[in-house]
Amino acid sequence: MPKLIIDTLKIEVPKGTKVIEAAARLGIIIPRFCYHPSLGSLGACRMCAVKFLEGPVKGIAMSCMEQVRDGMVVSTMDEEVRDFRRQVIEWLMMNHPHDCPVCDEGGHCLLQDLTVAGGHGIRRFAGKKRTYLDQELGAFIRHEMNRCIHCFRCRRFYQDFAGYLDFGALQIGSRMFFGRQSDGPLENPFSGNIIDLCPTGVLTDKPSRYKGRRWDYERSPALCIHCSLGCRLVASARYREVIRMEAGFSRAVNGYFICDRGRYGFSYNNLQERPRRARIGQEEVPLDQALRAAAERISQITHQFGKGAVGCLGSARSSLETQGLIKSLCQQQRWMAPNYLADPFREGKVKRAVAGLDGRLAVSLREIEQSDFVLLVGADPVNEAPMLTLALRQAFRKGAVIYVIDPRPVFLPLDFEHLPAPPGDLDFWLGFLLKRTIARQNGEKTLDEAGELHETQEEPAIQDFAFQDRFIKIAELLDRSARPVIVCGTDCVRETTPALAADLVLSLQAMGRKAGLFYLLPDANAFGAVLLSSPESSFLKILEAIEIGSLAGLVMVESNPFKLFPDRSRLEQALNSLDFLLVMDYLPSPIGRPADIFLPTQTVFEAGGIYVNQEGRAQWASPVYRGGLPIEQINNGNHPPHLFREDIPGGEPRPAWQLLMELAHLLSPEQDLSIKTLWTELARGNPVFSRLEELKGPGDEIRIIPEQVEEESFLITGPGNRMKTECAHGDVELLPVEWTLATEELSSYSDPIRETMKKPCLMMQSEMGKRLGIQNRDRVTLSLDGGPLEIEVELKDPMAAGIIVLPRHIDLDWQKMGVHPQWISFEGIKKKKDLDIETI
Amino acid sequence: MLPEETLDVLRQKITITDHPRELAVEVMFALQKHYGYLNDEAVQEGAGLLNLSPLEIEELATFYDFIYRRPVGKYCIHVCDGTVCWMFNHQSVLDYISQKLDIPLGGTTEDGCFTLLPVGCIGYCDQAPAMLINGNLYGPLTPEAIDAVLKELRDKQPPQKEDR
Repeated sequence: MPKLIIDTLKIEVPKGTKVIEAAARLGIIIPRFCYHPSLGSLGACRMCAVKFLEGPVKGIAMSCMEQVRDGMVVSTMDEEVRDFRRQVIEWLMMNHPHDCPVCDEGGHCLLQDLTVAGGHGIRRFAGKKRTYLDQELGAFIRHEMNRCIHCFRCRRFYQDFAGYLDFGALQIGSRMFFGRQSDGPLENPFSGNIIDLCPTGVLTDKPSRYKGRRWDYERSPALCIHCSLGCRLVASARYREVIRMEAGFSRAVNGYFICDRGRYGFSYNNLQERPRRARIGQEEVPLDQALRAAAERISQITHQFGKGAVGCLGSARSSLETQGLIKSLCQQQRWMAPNYLADPFREGKVKRAVAGLDGRLAVSLREIEQSDFVLLVGADPVNEAPMLTLALRQAFRKGAVIYVIDPRPVFLPLDFEHLPAPPGDLDFWLGFLLKRTIARQNGEKTLDEAGELHETQEEPAIQDFAFQDRFIKIAELLDRSARPVIVCGTDCVRETTPALAADLVLSLQAMGRKAGLFYLLPDANAFGAVLLSSPESSFLKILEAIEIGSLAGLVMVESNPFKLFPDRSRLEQALNSLDFLLVMDYLPSPIGRPADIFLPTQTVFEAGGIYVNQEGRAQWASPVYRGGLPIEQINNGNHPPHLFREDIPGGEPRPAWQLLMELAHLLSPEQDLSIKTLWTELARGNPVFSRLEELKGPGDEIRIIPEQVEEESFLITGPGNRMKTECAHGDVELLPVEWTLATEELSSYSDPIRETMKKPCLMMQSEMGKRLGIQNRDRVTLSLDGGPLEIEVELKDPMAAGIIVLPRHIDLDWQKMGVHPQWISFEGIKKKKDLDIETI
Repeated sequence: MLPEETLDVLRQKITITDHPRELAVEVMFALQKHYGYLNDEAVQEGAGLLNLSPLEIEELATFYDFIYRRPVGKYCIHVCDGTVCWMFNHQSVLDYISQKLDIPLGGTTEDGCFTLLPVGCIGYCDQAPAMLINGNLYGPLTPEAIDAVLKELRDKQPPQKEDR
């Protein structure tokens, strides 16, 4: 490792490190505009100049372009180099409009800081400045090109790092323009990062304009709960409102960036409609009164029908504290076992995935960037776990080969192979790969259980040899790779698929590959939810118990099953037949039947909490501010009244776990539940919880998966677990899917996201469209169990034959679909006749 | 649309390159030759041929001095904007042509014959001040030399205004 001296300090850093990074390790931050650790060196801005006093390089050079070498003596503060940087900043500022007082970047602007720090206080340039026409870039980003200093960070992120091609560097020389070909919203679902990257005010956050300056905000690290990855954020709050989100840095998860859903999805926290008072029926009452009333009603029910007549629904978007207290409360009160996953057809798959994930298998997002072969099975990264896309893109840039086996029309901003197999065939193909991989290794000697599994599995009905050849190619590539990663979804797959994916990884490991597994789960804390779910509890059991009348009282904690359960009318009926419904939530979700008692809870920004991401990483989210009604909502936007009071107006909501603790105390005062001993208690059921004691405070994280799950290597062996390859001739399977900006519940409350989201559409193969006489953009009526659904069709290729894809779009009544998997006959897809359109 | 035979030649060339992007300039020239300048339709067409996004074509098109994104005259007068030509007072050349043709820098004469543009150093420093017109070099320039060139070009091919 080369040794060098920077500003009289000695340091030894790995070969290949740039001088600018070596200095950063010493705490010396050399001024820079174009350099960014994740984007690398460019040498465009000339701002990071240093003087090399001794060694192989002599004189002034760019510290981002020079690799460290033995014997270098570097000065960052030499008179000559300071003068150089002063001149650089002066010419960078030549065309800059000096509009800091009206610029949204003012106060947290790198250009502003370095102009002052660089000693260029007084402008000498009196000539004309170049000016531009700005562009309209959509709901997220404000464009002000006059401020640009041509550092190229935005383009390098947009095109090179993220792989999207609708924003770039146009023109040449001093006319250089960063933007789109013409006005229009950016297509990149990671576009918000160019705001963080822009060293000045060219690209600024649009929704937070005029809301405040950096120094006005309460800024705090936060955690994103809009998908299962758990990216780090930096949140800014002001006047009891979350104003803005930026990417937080995480070594293992998101690196420096986040997706637009995470950046702009926070508005649910500030909603005018957000319930902030407790209610009995429709009447607003003090929270403690409502809590006492709830305890009384629950006691009445248990008195009348027994302990098991009360049940509890949690959700995968609650913190682990809340989920854990739900479990403890149900145990303590001997209620029915709680449930957290209201999508019964995903529940089993998520449970399988979490149960099988251990320290041997799990890899983090950053580790995916290092892999040389990624196989995605039933996973659509952009829509299901956006930041995975950027990790794949980095792996791809380093030469990794990427294959996707998925029925949906999958888009990735990189070159990849898409094998559109229908969901019913995924298991077969995984088995095929498993057998091939093992067979290659062992010759024909021994096939393990996993190999045998494939032997006994039914083949897909249509044998397409060209298609099969592509899988043979995958097996070969797997065999040749050193660090393969299998990414497995839990949405468009069958119950057995996650375990088969784990088997494939284990067999690759047995062959000496450094293989890893990466599951995608439905929500921010689905992992925690599964850790707390007993294997025999399920959402359907609770629903059935309500339907037969054995469950009379239900407590719903931050849970909105209507957004997840595919049969709205059945759910509505069941909830209506309840004697008593207690709801605790921070969302104004209409839940079909009004709650008998409602208790307002705090959001993650107010309460904080622990969330476990899909690789079993427990992360502590810090609270950002203390909550309360946004000041803007108090007096119609005018100055709030001059009244002294000790509490925070609208500050009644409490963390859900606290409400549950208080409820437990009211129900059984003699045996208190406590948050302090929660992990110890839960550890009795599952030892991984004891590891949570190691989490010391906000910002901490720890993997809480066991080193090795107890079962022997191959997870599926019994014939009972095997999934038959279905083939219903002439019919199509209706596949509900996720979309980046239109299906996630929390972010759907955000205005800029609503403005950006695509309209719902039904996607099918163009061949199927031809067969049905349907053209792109035609409207069709889909006959579902719950009634007809009218929707526009989009013909997409490639995607699997025999399926139609429907997003669980927030504006779409997809819950008419009823059961899942849902098969529809061709007669059930009818083109809307022209006549119908006329009458409309 | 480009004529089918031109398309065939381009497609053929594109298939044998490792990266279609390598042929971007050639494709843009072909399109420009066909349309007279690289119009919006041509940008789309080029993007389709090269499997690039329209923005990527736009990035390249606006980078190069000899790709025109706006209508130009029959003859594009590219006056060298390099350092040596500055020393030989290229500004006076620009001023002279500008006044002679009654167009500003970047403008096109009413009859559609000439467009006046600057160009980055063309390497003919020994001929400074120099200019390029449709690929032909003229220099060292004097008012007389410029007059002669303009007259010659105008007489050679009287441009059809409605062609533009």
